Formats: sequence, C-alpha cells, structure tokens
Amino acid sequence: MSTVLERPAERSKRAKARETQFLGRSMDFWICAGLVAVVLLVQAWNIADYPTVSDDEGTYLAQAWAVQHGLGMAPYTYWFDHPPLGWMQIATLSWIPALFFHGHQLVVAYARIIMLPVSAVSTVLVYTLARRMTLPRWAAALAVGFFALSPLSVTLQREIFLDNFAVMWMLVAFTFMYSPRRHLWHHVAAGICAAFAVLSKETMLIAVPALVVALWQNAGRSTRKYSLVGFTAALGLVLIQYPLYAVLKGELFEGNGHVSLIGGIVYQMSRPGSGSIFAAQSSSYAVFHAWMYYDSVLIVGGVVATVIALAFRHLRPVAIAAALLTLVAMRPSGYLPAMYVIQVLPFFALVLAGLAERLVAFLLRYRAHPVFWEQVVRMVLVGLVAAAAAFYVVPKWVSGDRVADTADPNAGYQQAATWVAAHIKDPAGKRILVDDGLWLDMVKDGFHPGRGAIWFFKADLDPSVKNALAKHGGWRAIDYIVSTPMIRQNTFDLPTVQAALDHSRVLVSFGTGANQIQIREINR
Amino acid sequence: MLVAAAVLVVSLVLFSIATATLWWMMSAWRTPEMLASTTFGQPDGRCGLSFSLLLPARHEQGVLEHTVHRLLESTHDDYEVIIITGHDDPETTQIADKLAELAPDKIRVVIDTNEIKSKAKALNAALPLCRGDIIGVFDAEDIVHPDLLVHVDYAFRSRQADVVQGGVQLINFHSSWYSLRNCLEYFFWFRSRLHLQAEKGFITLGGNTVFIKTDLIREIGGWDPNCLAEDCELGVRVSSGGGKVVVAYEPQIVTREETPDSVTSLFKQRTRWNQGFLQVYRKADWKQLPTNRQRGLARFTLATPFFQALSGLAVPAGILIGIFVNVPIWVAMISWLPAVPAFLVLAFEIAALHDFGREYQLRVKAIHYFKLIIGTPFYQVILMGAALRAVWREATGRNDWELTRHVGAHLVAPAPTSTSPMQTV
Repeated sequence: MSTVLERPAERSKRAKARETQFLGRSMDFWICAGLVAVVLLVQAWNIADYPTVSDDEGTYLAQAWAVQHGLGMAPYTYWFDHPPLGWMQIATLSWIPALFFHGHQLVVAYARIIMLPVSAVSTVLVYTLARRMTLPRWAAALAVGFFALSPLSVTLQREIFLDNFAVMWMLVAFTFMYSPRRHLWHHVAAGICAAFAVLSKETMLIAVPALVVALWQNAGRSTRKYSLVGFTAALGLVLIQYPLYAVLKGELFEGNGHVSLIGGIVYQMSRPGSGSIFAAQSSSYAVFHAWMYYDSVLIVGGVVATVIALAFRHLRPVAIAAALLTLVAMRPSGYLPAMYVIQVLPFFALVLAGLAERLVAFLLRYRAHPVFWEQVVRMVLVGLVAAAAAFYVVPKWVSGDRVADTADPNAGYQQAATWVAAHIKDPAGKRILVDDGLWLDMVKDGFHPGRGAIWFFKADLDPSVKNALAKHGGWRAIDYIVSTPMIRQNTFDLPTVQAALDHSRVLVSFGTGANQIQIREINR
Repeated sequence: MLVAAAVLVVSLVLFSIATATLWWMMSAWRTPEMLASTTFGQPDGRCGLSFSLLLPARHEQGVLEHTVHRLLESTHDDYEVIIITGHDDPETTQIADKLAELAPDKIRVVIDTNEIKSKAKALNAALPLCRGDIIGVFDAEDIVHPDLLVHVDYAFRSRQADVVQGGVQLINFHSSWYSLRNCLEYFFWFRSRLHLQAEKGFITLGGNTVFIKTDLIREIGGWDPNCLAEDCELGVRVSSGGGKVVVAYEPQIVTREETPDSVTSLFKQRTRWNQGFLQVYRKADWKQLPTNRQRGLARFTLATPFFQALSGLAVPAGILIGIFVNVPIWVAMISWLPAVPAFLVLAFEIAALHDFGREYQLRVKAIHYFKLIIGTPFYQVILMGAALRAVWREATGRNDWELTRHVGAHLVAPAPTSTSPMQTV
C-alpha cells in the first residue's frame, strides 16, 4: 500500500517475543545460554587428552601456523588438498591457546581449545534453526543435546577438523534461509555462508541442494525468484574465488613441475576407495564401526529418522541434507574420511528432535477429547516413552562422555614432546622426522620449520624436501625420528622414513605395545 | 607497493559503491511485504479531485493524436487536457487544434512563445491556465492507462500526499540491444529504487506521470526553466521543502513509453539527464534537507550516474590489474572484489527481465537474455561516455536542450485496456 513500511506480521512477532521475557531477555535466550554452558563444560573437560591427536589436526594447525606467519597456505608447498578457508579461520583463532597455556604442553592437543567457540556458535545455531523450523523449545533443546552431547559429537567436535567449521557455516546458511522476514539479503547471505562452508571443507557441497529446498519453502512467492537468483549468484561468486586464487598463482591446470587445483581435485576424486561400509575388512567399515562404537543411537536413529522426516514438510530440508550426506557415505566405492560424520550430525540431531516432537504431538493430540482422565493418560504415555528413551540412551552417553572427559591417550605424545624439549641440544642445527601431531612442538623448540622439523611423509613425497635430504645423504642427513603409530602404519611407500627407522636406536620410549612412542637417534 | 595501495583503495571504494547501488536497486524485493507496499491502494470509487493534465508536444505530430485519445478514455470524470505546442511548430499545433475541436470541454491548446524552447518553459507557460486541483504531466508519446487518474486521486486523498509519482515503463525491449537494457533500467528505477527514495525523504521525480498539487507548484514558482532535468529538480525542491511524495507502481496501470530511437539519441538523452543532475547538485537546494543522512543520500543519488561511469571503467581495469600487474596475491584477490556485486547486479537483471516479461505479458526469449548479458559492457560504455560528455558540457557552459525523437515503437505492443475494479463497483 505504501512506501512507508507497514509490517504488521513482524510487529506481532516482536510483541509475542516480549511476552515470555525474563530479566529483559527472552526465554529462548536463557535456554540457549544454559545449553551452551553445559555443552562447553562437557566438551572442554579433558579436551587436550582425549581423543588421540590425529595427523589431520596437526596438518591443519601447521597450515594455519603457516598462514599466520605469512608463509603462504602451508608450511610445505600448498598443493590444493583442501580449500584453505578452514585453516585461515583456525589461524584467526590461534591467539586463544596462548591465553591459557604457557608451558611445554603438546601444541596440537591444547590448541583444541579454539574449537570451543565454534562449538558454542554451532550450538546456538542448532537451537535457533530448530526454533525457526517451528519446533517448540523442548524439541530445540533436544536437538542441541543430540548435536553436541552425544559421545560421538563430544569426541569429534573438540578436534581441530575443518568439518567443524564447515558445519558452523552451513548452520548459519540454514538459519538465514529460515529468515522470519523472508528477507532477500538474508537469502543472499545464506549463499555467501554456504560458500564459506564449502570453502572450509569441500564435501559440504553435497548438502547445498537442501538449502535450495529450504529457500523454496521459505521465500515469499512474489520475491522467490530474486531470492533464488541472489542465493545462487552469491554462492557461485564466492566459490569462484578459489579457482581464481589458483589462476592468479598460475596453478589452475596441471603442468610440469608445479601443483595445481585441477591436480588436487583429481587426486581427491581418485583417492583409493576405502571400500563399502557394508563390507567387513574394508577401511570404510572400520570407520563406520568407530562411529557406531562412539554412539550407535545417533547413527542408526539418525538414518531411520531421516527417511521418515522426508515425509514432513517442515523437516524436509534438513532431512534432505542428512539423506544426501548419508547416501554419499554409503556409496560402495570412494574414500570415506573418519571425520566425515561431523557434517551430518546437526541434520541427524534436527530430524530426530523434529520427529520426537511429532510423536509427542501425536500422542497428546490425535483424536483427543477435552476429558481430564484422557489427558492424564496421554501425558503418562508421553512420560513413559520419554523415560524409556532416556533409559536406553542416557547410560550409554554418560559412560561415553565419561571416557571422553577422563581418558588420556595423549600422554605418550606429551611425554615425547617434553623429552625432546629437555634433552635435544642445539635443535636449530638438527633434523628430526615427526608426524603432524608433533611438528608444531618441534618448531616451538627451535627446529627449523620445514628443513629441521620434517613431516615424515614430506621426506619422500615432497620433491624439494627429498632433494634437499638427498644432497646430504638421504636418511643419513636425519638426526632423530619420533616413531609413532601414525608413522609406523604409513611407511610402506616411504623408503627414506623406513631407512631412518631401520638405522636408528631407541633413546627413550613411552607407553607400550602398538601405541608405543619411541624417540630414536639415527646411526650414521 | 604504491600500485598495491592504489589498487586496494580503488577496489574498496568501488566495492562499496557497487554494493550500495545493488542495495538500492533491489530494495523493493527485500521482503514480500515490501513489494506489496509499492503498489497503489485499491481506490474507493470516488472522484474527489479535479485534474489538469499537461501535455507538452514538440514535433510530435506522429504520436500526439493517439496519446490524447487514450487520455480521453480515462475513467475519471473531472479532468482537462492542456496540449502545449511551440509557436515555431505549426504541424503539431494544427493537430492539437483539431483534437481540441473534438472535445472542447476537455482539451485546450496553449502556445509556448519562448524563443529558446525547453520542457520546463512549456510547462510554466500552461501553469497560470490550469483549473484543476492537481496538475499532472505527461509526454506526447505516453500510453496512459484509463484507470490511472482514479488511482492517483485516491492516493492523494488517502495518503495526504503533496506529490504522487506513478510508474513509467519503457516497453519496446525487443527493438534493439540497448532498448532491452534501457527498459530494465526503468523497471528497477520505478519498481524499486524510487520507493526507497520517497521513504527516505529525498526523491528525484520522473519526467511524466507525475502529479502535484496545483497550489504547491504555484507556491514554489513552477518548473526551473534553466535546468535540463526539470523533473529531477522539482523533486529535489519539493522534498527539500518537506513535501510528502508518494510513489506507486502497478504493472497494469503504468504509463508506457518507448526508448530513444537510436544509440545517438539515447546518448544525447543521457547526457541531458546527467547534466541536469549536475545542475541540481550545483544549485544546492538539497542542502536544506533536515538530516545528514538525507543530505548524504542526495549527494549519492545526484552523483550516481558518475559513479556508474567510474565503476564501468574500473571493474575491467581491476580485473586486468589482477591478472597482469605484479602485485601480492591478496591485493590481486581484492582487486576482483568489485566484480562480485557487479555480477550480482547482472544476475538480478536476468531475473528482472523474466519478471518484466511476466508482468507485461511479453515474450522474453533466450536471445534476449543473451543480448542482456552481452550488451552489458557496451551499455556501460554509452553511460560512461554520456557522463563524461555531461561533465564536459557543464564545464564549458553549454546547456541547450537536445530533444529525444520518438517513432512510436511502443504502440505496436498491445496496450492495456480498462480492467478497473471501478467499473464493477
């Protein structure tokens, strides 16, 4: 009617929000604050000691270190293994650990503290998204519980994985898509955030079609066309910055003697398949069962709930995201990374909570009569179902979370790092082969990054490192090697590393059996 | 290092300008409620006000008759049409006289005797003779919808407006590659941007389908005869004086126009507008606007054509610098930045072309989308040239009126007939 803005719909929404206020804030604010506090407590407790430091964590943190020190995208040649936005974000957060730790703590393990703000933001987003999907407060809180308190989540979300950043951006994108004002710029912002998610971890691209469904459901009929175009164009224009970066470096196409974006993509696409999750003996099977070990409820329940949730309009977008990610994980060939499941967790959590709400609504309201005793019976029924579910799930989670908050598989790493710092003199002139988990500790001790402290596989796979070593006698140029399970499992195509192991003696060892960590000196 | 710093500053400035332009361009589609608010209100069926419709015609004998006949079809019952011709243009005057004989109670002819002609002078010549409460301005080639006056009447009464600006739309997008872009410019301007301008209290009015209270225009002394963009100037004077301007756009009752008949006349028209904007800027009526924000908006709006020209030049330059000049890679990445909103604009233009075809029941084919995309840089060159020429002409003091010629290409399109709910009331 007018150019003066009249939006009665919005005004009534604001009025409604005002009704349920406490200390000047909405009820949602207080619930969210409580949930964040619980999530942070459970995830932060024992964060450095559990789970075992993973090589990927070390890699990403070292790459963040390189970005921060202006050395490019990685301490060695950046070969377009992943888009760099993930560890650029890690770099911007890397000031946090220094606030808390000053001694000889294991760098990678204690750097995990930077994942806590990410977890907190994602928690708030899951709650907000659930509310915007019209779920009641209890169901939104339940979704947060599934998302952040399952032993699987507690284990994986505290690790420095790119997937956690991708999930956060994807949740921002979804939350924008459900903009109550159906605002064009929110939909454009969703496109930008989705691009950030994909540039944080490229596999998030799989979930993008679900955003389009969310947009279709949520945009106004008269403005939908523009929202769709704005979302798509923003997504594309931000994504294209990555190939653009490759163009500017002259590394888009494969060529002699240099890495390339196309080469990186070809490598990732043709990565030796890890088999089917249904075939015992395959490594996908092992990965899948590791997830099941941490929390079978969320995995099995999530898959089943996803299929059912497709039938409900308000759950469909997140169910589609969960379904797409699940289908890709179940494809018979192709590589299944251990942290892949992180991306599907928020969607499993939302469909589970959404279906729980549907079930409760069904029990309470299906052909209900306003008769007192009938209402009581229905309430009791809901109570029984909730109690049964809690009886089944809570003990498993409590014991899983207790392990996460008490076990210390990183003790060996910590001891090795401390020993090296105390006993190896003149680190600036020495060469030491380590895995990614210890690399930053070596750099901190004074080994020269890249030439002195060497990622073990770079000694054979990075031509510049390999040639530099060869000039000084190959394995003979190396002074020490810290033998960890990660190195011992990966030496079959790394002759220099194998030779270093073969021609060395143990100085000191920590732990026992397969998990033993040995610091070895090379015998020339 | 110096190059890097320069690239950085220019890129960031351009990025901000392009983003602001994008924001303004898309304002009407921000939310469904916003879009719904840009239309006319549903009229109450009364004709409460009387209208004097001014129709300056200069060498327009080809289209004048058709336009007047359309005006006479209006469903409003209290209006007069005043055709204004020049004393040096007997052909048009002859047709005007003939039309006046047709409906002597509704049509009058005024002869503008100024030696040097301009639209503002012609309008001022007719101003003392107007009998209506409201003066409306049309161009000789306009196709005016019969229900328009009833809607405007209601808008004046229901919204206590001082000025009502109705929608104007170029229709003949199929005529040439530039008319396609020209049509879209109007689409964005009247469908979206003007509404936001009105809301923020600083508006440059359009050249026609603009209605103003007769008392008000007499009070502020009519149109500025020395300004090349008398419409823009009037809007600035009205909004600076605190007048309430209402903008309404409805595809059914929008006034239909045609694009200039050649690239040259488009170029001349655009030069005239740009120079007009410069004159309005220099005249500084906008400095009386009450708030800093509004004054900032005035500066931004009046400088828009020149920003446009600048960004047309700088976006490709930025991309070339990114590729060919040896700057740090992050500087090169930033030099690409203005291209992001620029391409978003293009994407929205494609969507708008589809919408335009829908709203006006015109068939937009794949070739038109293709022309839209391919034509972008060339149209930019025209805009840029016109902006530079305007600055040059203003600096050298040349401000004669370059008339846009019309051939009537928009008359081929099926003109809308009265579908007014009025008739069913």
